[in-house]
Amino acid sequence: MGSMGVPTEYYQLVAALLFTIGLIGVLVRRSALIIFMSIELMLNAVNLSFVAFSRQHGQMDGQIFVFFVMAVAAAEVAVGLAILVAIFRNRETASVDEVHLLKG
Amino acid sequence: MGEAILFTLFSLSAVAFALGMVFRRNAVHCALHLVGVLLSLSGMFVLLHAQFIAAIQILVYAGAIMVLFLFVVMLLNVKGETPLLTPGAAKGFGFFFAFIAFVELLWIVVSQGGTEGEPAPLQALPPNFGSPAEIGRILYTTWLFPFEVTSILLMIAVVGAVVLAKRKFA
Repeated sequence: MGSMGVPTEYYQLVAALLFTIGLIGVLVRRSALIIFMSIELMLNAVNLSFVAFSRQHGQMDGQIFVFFVMAVAAAEVAVGLAILVAIFRNRETASVDEVHLLKG
Repeated sequence: MGEAILFTLFSLSAVAFALGMVFRRNAVHCALHLVGVLLSLSGMFVLLHAQFIAAIQILVYAGAIMVLFLFVVMLLNVKGETPLLTPGAAKGFGFFFAFIAFVELLWIVVSQGGTEGEPAPLQALPPNFGSPAEIGRILYTTWLFPFEVTSILLMIAVVGAVVLAKRKFA
């Protein structure tokens, strides 16, 4: 092992790629459900970045941060999906283009 | 050498699954592709000596959160989107801004975040790096207060979800 490992930059590159794919999903998909999944993908890309830096510096604080990100993601999914179900019950749609009550 | 091969394998499968997730029509297929991404990432976590995080990734994300997603997909019975992507100029803007964001991220990675000189080399790791015992020790000493705040956050989320699910809409 030692210095023979994969450089941190490669992991950052993969994280950047995954984050961008998630961003594309958020921006161009119309189903609120898929947008949610894309947000999860972006959170996971950040997690990969955290863990890669944690390994580079030999400190475990980055892994603790991943732990917190997962907890926040779980809370977000629980509330977000509840909102989604409520919207679907009301409006019979999960498309973000048709949910524009705040637009007036 | 083996690490490089595994890294290539996991990163390729992660990106391929991610693309599949974003561009599939069927929501169940999207959810299963997301599971693929999560499993690939947990493989990478093992390569990075984060064994506990890798296990949590599979248990919490691929297990609990994705089951929640699949439940909602089946509960809502959403028909496939037609058209798949948001129509008109918004789609072009979406791809354009995502591309700009990627170039920015790439710039940060290449420029080492603005630091001068050579990047820090990979540090030698203590033998218990990434072990559950060590994670627990740090979590309950240095990060005790954020941990407790997280528990309050989770409780608020549970209460909020129940309230939202039980409310009767007019």
